Amino acid sequence: MAEKKRRMKEETQQRQGGSGKNRKLLQSKTLTVEKKKGKKKHNSRNEGKAGRRKTGPRLPSALKHELDSRNSNQRTSDEEVDNDVYEYEESMPEEESKKNRRFDPVDKLEYELPDEFEDENLPSEDDDDDYEDNDSGERSKGRDNSNQLDDEVEDDDDRRHARMLQGITGIPSEAFEDKKRKRNAVLSEAHPESEYNPSRGAIDGDGNISVEDLLEGIQGKSGYSKVRKRVHRVDRKSMSVLAPLPKVDRERLERKAVYEQSKKEITKWEPLVKKHREAPTLFFNEDIDIGFSTVGAIASEFEPKTDFEKKIASLVQDAKVMEAHNNDGSRLLELNKISVEDVKDRQKRLAKMRSLLFRHEMKAKHVKKIKSKMYHRLMKKDRLKAASARMEMDPEAAKEQAMKQEFKRAEERMTLKHKNSSKWAKRILKRGLPSQDEGTRAAISDQLHQHALLTRKMNSAKDSSSSEGSSDEEDEDDNELLLSSDQDRASKFLTKVKEKTLELMEDAEQPKSGVLSMPFMVNADKKRKDAAYRDAELALRECESMVEQLDDTTEAENPKIGTSSGRRVFGAARNDTQALSNKKSNNIRDNNDSEDDLEANANIDDGQDNVSLLRKDVQIDPGSLYEDSGVSLQPVSKSFDDIIKDPGPKTTFEVSIFASDSWRKMKKGEKVDGKNDNSSAVVEPGLPRQELKEVDEDTDTDSEEEMVDGILSSGAKPSYELPSQADLIHRAFAGDNVEEDFEKDKLEILNEENPELEKPVLVPGWGQWTHIQQKKGLPPWMLEEHENGKKKREEALKKRKDARLKHVIISEKIDKKAEKLHTKTLPYPYTSREVFEQSIRMPIGPEFNPATSVGALNRPEVVKKPGVIIRPIKFEEVNPYEKAEEHKKSGRAPKTKSSKSRGEKATKMQLKKKS
Amino acid sequence: MHLGITVIAGDVASEIFGIVETEEGSVKAIFREMDFSEGDFIFFFLVGDVASEIFGEPQSFFLCLPLSFTETYPKAAVTNMKVKVISRSADEFTRERSQDLQRVFHNYDPNLRTQEKAVEYVRALNAAKLDKIFARPFVGAMDGHIDAISCMAKNPNHLKGIFSGSMDGDIRLWDIASRRMVCQFPGHQGAVRGLTVSTDGRILVSCGMDCTVRLWNVPAASGIESDNQYDDPAKPLAVYVWKNAFWAVDHQWEGDLFATAGAQVDIWDRNRSQPVNSFEWGKDTVLSVRFNPGEPNVLATSASDRSITLYDLRMSSPARKLIMRTKTNSIAWNPMEPMNFTAANEDCNCYSYDARKLDEAKCVHKDHVSAVMDIDYSPTGREFVTGSYDRTVRIFQYNGGHSREIYHTKRMQRVFCVKFSNDATYVISGSDDTNLRLWKSKASEQLGVLLPRERKKQEYHEAVKNRYKHLPEVKRIVRHRHLPKPIYKAAALRRTITDAENRKEERRRAHSAPGSRPTEPLRKKRIIQEVE
Repeated sequence: MAEKKRRMKEETQQRQGGSGKNRKLLQSKTLTVEKKKGKKKHNSRNEGKAGRRKTGPRLPSALKHELDSRNSNQRTSDEEVDNDVYEYEESMPEEESKKNRRFDPVDKLEYELPDEFEDENLPSEDDDDDYEDNDSGERSKGRDNSNQLDDEVEDDDDRRHARMLQGITGIPSEAFEDKKRKRNAVLSEAHPESEYNPSRGAIDGDGNISVEDLLEGIQGKSGYSKVRKRVHRVDRKSMSVLAPLPKVDRERLERKAVYEQSKKEITKWEPLVKKHREAPTLFFNEDIDIGFSTVGAIASEFEPKTDFEKKIASLVQDAKVMEAHNNDGSRLLELNKISVEDVKDRQKRLAKMRSLLFRHEMKAKHVKKIKSKMYHRLMKKDRLKAASARMEMDPEAAKEQAMKQEFKRAEERMTLKHKNSSKWAKRILKRGLPSQDEGTRAAISDQLHQHALLTRKMNSAKDSSSSEGSSDEEDEDDNELLLSSDQDRASKFLTKVKEKTLELMEDAEQPKSGVLSMPFMVNADKKRKDAAYRDAELALRECESMVEQLDDTTEAENPKIGTSSGRRVFGAARNDTQALSNKKSNNIRDNNDSEDDLEANANIDDGQDNVSLLRKDVQIDPGSLYEDSGVSLQPVSKSFDDIIKDPGPKTTFEVSIFASDSWRKMKKGEKVDGKNDNSSAVVEPGLPRQELKEVDEDTDTDSEEEMVDGILSSGAKPSYELPSQADLIHRAFAGDNVEEDFEKDKLEILNEENPELEKPVLVPGWGQWTHIQQKKGLPPWMLEEHENGKKKREEALKKRKDARLKHVIISEKIDKKAEKLHTKTLPYPYTSREVFEQSIRMPIGPEFNPATSVGALNRPEVVKKPGVIIRPIKFEEVNPYEKAEEHKKSGRAPKTKSSKSRGEKATKMQLKKKS
Repeated sequence: MHLGITVIAGDVASEIFGIVETEEGSVKAIFREMDFSEGDFIFFFLVGDVASEIFGEPQSFFLCLPLSFTETYPKAAVTNMKVKVISRSADEFTRERSQDLQRVFHNYDPNLRTQEKAVEYVRALNAAKLDKIFARPFVGAMDGHIDAISCMAKNPNHLKGIFSGSMDGDIRLWDIASRRMVCQFPGHQGAVRGLTVSTDGRILVSCGMDCTVRLWNVPAASGIESDNQYDDPAKPLAVYVWKNAFWAVDHQWEGDLFATAGAQVDIWDRNRSQPVNSFEWGKDTVLSVRFNPGEPNVLATSASDRSITLYDLRMSSPARKLIMRTKTNSIAWNPMEPMNFTAANEDCNCYSYDARKLDEAKCVHKDHVSAVMDIDYSPTGREFVTGSYDRTVRIFQYNGGHSREIYHTKRMQRVFCVKFSNDATYVISGSDDTNLRLWKSKASEQLGVLLPRERKKQEYHEAVKNRYKHLPEVKRIVRHRHLPKPIYKAAALRRTITDAENRKEERRRAHSAPGSRPTEPLRKKRIIQEVE
């Protein structure tokens, strides 16, 4: 940069100096020519330009005139004098004007019009230069224009002059022109043509003295051609020299250059920065010297501070000892001297201690050997007393004791040590207790007693197990039921059911307190119980009938009856219940349904008819049927089993099986909680209508199709007529009113998503004693609230997307729990959903990844150590190709890290070598 | 499908399947009375004599048999089964010390762990909550100055030392670890406006309104046992009086030069009483100056004519000037990215620029509600701290539009200077209330030595939190900050104002010929001109 700057400066200097010289030279030439021409009228094309060029101080025009006139007289003789005079004119102003060109040449063009000047000027190179350095085409164009203008004006002048002459003299203008031309050509020359005396052509041509003109002088001499060639070359490659710029501009340019340069310098960091940015992790904890690293280093830093340490240090650091260490072990021994008294003292002390110990030992042995029970009892008593006393005295001991006790208890609970689990106890039990002697029995009972004592607290806490036990019993009973033969099981089951129902009917106890004891609750309870009672009665009756039936039926009949599915036969059973319970359910197709079922029952024995019937039967919408059954069956099932405990579907199933008399199904039905599908799993090989049954008991979705088939097949049998298409369709979809179903579904969904408001109820407790609620009705705010809620709901329903769409349900249910797992918009750096999902797909925890990869997966973006100074970036060469590979590998971090650091080191080394 | 894992050893094995015949690589065994169903896999872990009986080697094996022979069940004779044997050497499993953890082997099959995402989400949530619980950023305050703190300097070579200069001309050196003053440097007559320390940490340079530049000897790290050459740290090494008051000073990274800013930018050599170079571009006061730590010969200044100017000392010339709509109070170069710097502007924002493309800011960091007074980059180059006139300190990501963290206390007044500590762990702020405050750069970071397992755990928490940071719940918890009421309100007000402006602009655009009002991003909007 600096170099460039210097060059620039030089250039400007050169330009200044060189151009100045040039100009001087040329100017002098022009002046000579001018002087020769004198006051001649001229039509030089370059007048304007020349005029413009004349700047700076000049001779006053009067003086000039005089000079010219004198020159015309002694044109040839004294050039030197003229030159002297002109020297003044040209040099000073030129220098000055060129030195600091503050003004644009254009301005000058405007300021100094060429008309003022009559004298002629030859075009100089400088002019061209100036224009070139300005480099603006416009200006040069303007110049040309002005030249042309000047020319025209001159031409006009000439013509006018000629015309005037013609008018005066009557001689044609050509004569004058000729004369003028001639006059132009007139030149009296005393000297021969040479470089010192410009040739005629040079003067009356364009007025320029070219190098060629000067060269003519040496034509023919040796080396002429060489010179000429060189001149040609120079001409071709003519360099323009710039003028210096104003300081502001110069500085601006300089700054620009500086900025460009510094930009370039800074750009060298780019690959390195890019590498850092792209790296998944930046490491700042490399190459740290924490200081002490070995034990030796730490130890060497140790300085004794306390007296003791100093004493030790003085001993250890003793010059003699050190020397001995360094030299030999023998010297050490010499230094290691102990006085006789010291040794004796020590020995005495040791002997005393030993004897004391011995005595104590002997005493302990003696005590241990004492066999007197009395003694031991007393000792024990003493010990206990002491312990109790201590317990009373200080709470710490008491606590300890309690802890001990608790620990013992816990231990007992854990190990069950005293519950006949020991080898000894087991052996005795194996042999039989009665055969043992009294002592052993006592020991065993004692042990059990101890166990009871230790675990007493535990048992007292557990009091709710009785009910569980009973339930267990029940289960066992059930199991027994399963195991016994079918008939037995059936009867047993039935009797059991009967018992249960009766029991339930009997023990309708009233709660004594709490909310349940309140009158309205009691009423409700009563109602419910009544219903349950009725159902139970029903069930009982049914049960009895079953038992009878069971007795009647033979083994051969059994499977046939079993073929009828649970659901259908169940329908028959329900029929009865409905008759009794005055049709609680409001299903439309109840009658239809029950008729079919009745028919089915009636025709249960004949085969072929049954098929069609069954098929017809299928026409009933299975969903509704099922619902139906669910509603009406619930009480029955409740009566069968524990009302509260048993889940709905299971009991339903049980009942259905029960009603259909197929005892085979019992096993399966109890094992699996599923619904109707299960019954199809039972294999009954001898059955003629197995397939049908399976179809019948298929899932809800399938059954519709089947139903259509059924209709078609049944309709096809009688005398066949081609029905119309509409009729066909109508018939085909006769049974199912899809639209209605759909509407119902939609309503349900609407209700679910915008739940209907509950009617305001009386506020319990409020003004009860004055019956104010009954008198005045509900408080107005409540009603208002209700109204508002209703309105809101209406609006919400209207706002729904599917409000206008009759055949569409657009669910607007938002799963709040799921919503918190979704982002509302795509997070910033990600460009597509897939990428984002991909980024959180794989888990990163240590449970889900091997230990080798967990570190890399969890590594933070910046790894640094607190307490380590981080230095600014240092320049290093980065190979972009190498980096790409490294980046790929970055998943496996520890390896790459080391390799990277190694790479860095390598580059550093290279740098060093370079430097 | 069930997965049964059976450990069979010794007698039990022979009880379960009677081994009929053993060949090399093939097993013939009869299964007895085992309840299998189709599609089951049984894993046999054979230990001891059974294994040796089958394979002829006294080792333990692990084999997996697909149970596709239910047809022949229950008495299935298995012949010629291919057995895959995993053999593990004992040295891999022996612990070196009793404290070592037992090696645990996991089956990383994702089918076995279907809840992993849910588990990690909950962990992320918990990590975010824990972060909030443990967020205690304020470490302590250092009081002692009797006037507002105007500038600070950290010792590049020593972690614990920090220098602070106050408006009354007092300079103090603090020990961060003990949060106590180490020594004082009296001498300035007017406010101290600039402090800087040479890279080797030996010389402190201060300048101020009294038109002097003072060089001080920094006492050695150990405190008492300093070199006896300069026996008194209270006396400056040199005092250079100059023509104009100074506003800022900064030392070159690894060089002898330092630059002062005032009426013009002067470059000084430490050993000369006169500046070696001075630059003047425009007549306005230069307010701040910062050397580029990566490129030690490049420096940037900001001046009161709202300009930011770059200089290059290699060519001893200014390079480029950028004029913004509002004044820039301070500049910080990114120490890890030598082309980037961030300017703390008077209009509450910080602007990150690339020194090569000044026509547009790379990032606008918004969040402060009053002028940003000072800025300093973390040595990691990934974040920077700003102190503002709104009495808060904020930490930004180098490429984040909004702050990561905000620190404030009830008693902290206008913050005039902030610094990141050299290990990027702490942040120090100096404010109008004459106190220096020490903060953690990560509010919930655990200080002190971490065990490797602790560190791993925290890394995992961090990673998980980072992974799920976009989900609303985690985001809410992570972003939530308690703000002082005035700041909260000011922020709301600012938001309203900018919203209104945007709306207006939008409407104007809508009502004018398309293309006649081009949208100008905020990154460009605040730049008036780039002067060559």
